Amino acid sequence: MKSDKMIIPIGPQHPLLKEPIAFTLTVEGERVMEAGMRMGYVHRGIERLAQERSYVQTIHLVERVCGICSHVHATTYCQGVEALLGLEIPPRAQYLRALLCELERIHSHLLWLGVLGKNLGLDTIFMYAWRDREIVLDIMEDLSGGRVSHAINVIGGVRSDVDEAHCDEILRQLDLLTEPLARLVGLVEHERTLKARTQNVGHLSLEQIRRYCVVGPVARASGLDVDLRRDMPKAPYTDLSFKVITHTAGDVWARTLVRMQEAVESVRLCREILAQLPDGPISVKAKRRVPPGEVVSRAEAPRGELIYYIRSDGSEKPARLKIRTPTLTTLITLPEQLREVNMADVPAVLSGVDLCIACADR
Amino acid sequence: MGLRSFLYLLPEAWRTWLKRPSTVRYPFGPLELPPGFRGRVVIEPDNCRGCSLCVRDCPADALELQRVSRDEFRLIFHPERCAYCGQCELSCNFGAITLSNDFVRATTDRDTLTEILVDRKPEPESEA
Amino acid sequence: MQTAFTLLIFPGLGFIVLCAWLFDWLDRRIIARFQGRVGPPWYQPVADFIKLLAKEDILSTGINPALSTALPVLSLASVLTVSLYIPVARTAPVSFEGDLIVVLFLLSIPALAYFLAGWISGGVYGILGANRSLLQYFSYEVPFLMALSGPAILGNSWRIAQIAQQQVGTTWNLALQPLGFILAVVGLIGKLKRDPLDIPKAKSEVVGGSLTEYSGRKLALWHLAMDMQTVLGIFLLINLFLGGTSASPLWGGLGFVLKALGIVLLLSTASVLYARLRIDQLANLGWRVLAPLALMQLAATIWMGG
Repeated sequence: MKSDKMIIPIGPQHPLLKEPIAFTLTVEGERVMEAGMRMGYVHRGIERLAQERSYVQTIHLVERVCGICSHVHATTYCQGVEALLGLEIPPRAQYLRALLCELERIHSHLLWLGVLGKNLGLDTIFMYAWRDREIVLDIMEDLSGGRVSHAINVIGGVRSDVDEAHCDEILRQLDLLTEPLARLVGLVEHERTLKARTQNVGHLSLEQIRRYCVVGPVARASGLDVDLRRDMPKAPYTDLSFKVITHTAGDVWARTLVRMQEAVESVRLCREILAQLPDGPISVKAKRRVPPGEVVSRAEAPRGELIYYIRSDGSEKPARLKIRTPTLTTLITLPEQLREVNMADVPAVLSGVDLCIACADR
Repeated sequence: MGLRSFLYLLPEAWRTWLKRPSTVRYPFGPLELPPGFRGRVVIEPDNCRGCSLCVRDCPADALELQRVSRDEFRLIFHPERCAYCGQCELSCNFGAITLSNDFVRATTDRDTLTEILVDRKPEPESEA
Repeated sequence: MQTAFTLLIFPGLGFIVLCAWLFDWLDRRIIARFQGRVGPPWYQPVADFIKLLAKEDILSTGINPALSTALPVLSLASVLTVSLYIPVARTAPVSFEGDLIVVLFLLSIPALAYFLAGWISGGVYGILGANRSLLQYFSYEVPFLMALSGPAILGNSWRIAQIAQQQVGTTWNLALQPLGFILAVVGLIGKLKRDPLDIPKAKSEVVGGSLTEYSGRKLALWHLAMDMQTVLGIFLLINLFLGGTSASPLWGGLGFVLKALGIVLLLSTASVLYARLRIDQLANLGWRVLAPLALMQLAATIWMGG
């Protein structure tokens, strides 16, 4: 029988993708033979725009690299600039920043679970996960004034504080979240059709992970025990205890498990942060001119390790800002993952790596 | 776990039906906003000195200061450029500009959005 | 006059179309409530239909325009013909011995038309969706047919009205053939391409499947044909398994309505609970699980019925 190779474009616009990226799959029957990838559709030139804006303005620019992990971008950037300025920010500010980082991790993983469900045809998980995510978004809105763009970081600390009553309210809302989250974890562990669609799909071995320098839950699901919060701890993670979740299976199901269990762990971390919140000021005054120097600032975003390189030349504007987002590392593995899978497994594979193209394209 | 794993979502689905839907039916129902919500920019005109700290720090160039002299200036606001980040509120040393809880209304004509926040004219010389 | 009323109003065209819209709305509303949402208002399916009628009909180059129009019309025509034979609360315009077989044959025509629609569309998504729809057809059709033959063997007749009549006052076929009912429901879900068996039109994989290139009036006809197929499939199941309709107009009508609502609830619940199966998982399921079960059910029926 003559084999007919079809070239199927996934993207730039496709119901599967949240953001534009183009894959061209060469399909024979139902099997994907080869996959090509092309990105850059959401490239906004943020690194170049940062050179035209002052350090203060760049906080807000950098927050808009990604909508899901916006706070982590701003935090990493502010950490870098504070290191260049030689500032030591007050401990209360560090704890508040970490609180929002963990809340963002929960909301990002819940968002991703919904998207995975929708792409696999289980709309119900999409609705449930995003309904429970609303609790987290409400907490973040109470804390910072915005659901998605938090704008709580300033160079030198944070800008809005929480009082006793507010802390109790946050704890109460976190209690509301515990049971739905446990149900979602149970769903991932036990529900048959979800397991049937995600197990043994999109397998990445530990050796492949090391070769492509993959970070984040994708790496942890294949057995690589790396988490920046534990390996390069900055305050307050030095005083907090948490588990780093790893799994050995390396398929989409393992990644789902890792992310959901990380979300549960993050809820616990949030409670611990609120319990240990130190008193004191929330920011220190920062100079507008940054002395010349260069700094590499790293943080654990929901999708993995986020790296910022900032070089200053003594003026009010950064001389160079370079962002390495974790999605870039997982994107490179996709053409290899997509080889020799069924066409029907493509949604599971693409959803499993938790693409944030806006992050990758900047 | 045999039969349960086939019908895993059923108890949850049933429970969800029995509760009210989680949808907030805005604008047919109330929408609660927290006190720190970053909405439309409002000004306290008497506090504004025309120092242009807010203009300098706005990441979106949404604020514009047209200055004639120390006592005559105009602060113009472009809501369609505003990113609702609140940097102007932080930068102002005199508490003149804040972010309220209002939403910005939609319009089809861009020019109708531009707001003149402060229009300071010099005090007329009073007759001695 | 009587014939015109039966053909066009009740239980013909008008009634089936209204039922199609009603069941579509019910389905979406039930799924929404299961998911914690509100769901669309009652006029949503009507509004969707009117909107599609008003949209531009785009024809890509290379598609045979006559064939592309003929296929939805053929689908609709075969579904409407089916409506002649299925009794709605005891009234069937035409009824003769063997009409169950005619109904089953006519109900396969929309599936083949769906396949052809994707095949001629020329786009990759269409061809992929068409391939999948044919593979899905082969997976569910055999258990479906075997499951629906069970009541015929029990009732000793191939006439739907008679099978329905024989259950009135005595046990429902559901009690005598529970496995057959489950298989028939699964087959119906496959035939209607509903979640979890909406593989041919899986949005996240093949965008729109066979109907990707369709728009405007033709798409409206396709959707109408699909919705009417849902209604008639449900009515068929009621007549074959759920005891037909009793003689009194009030209780019979009410019973029919309640049974229809029950099956709608069952189908919607199945939509909510499961992820979409992969096509090879469906083929596995169809031939390794469903077909043997259907054979077992048939064997048991023959042995019991004698």
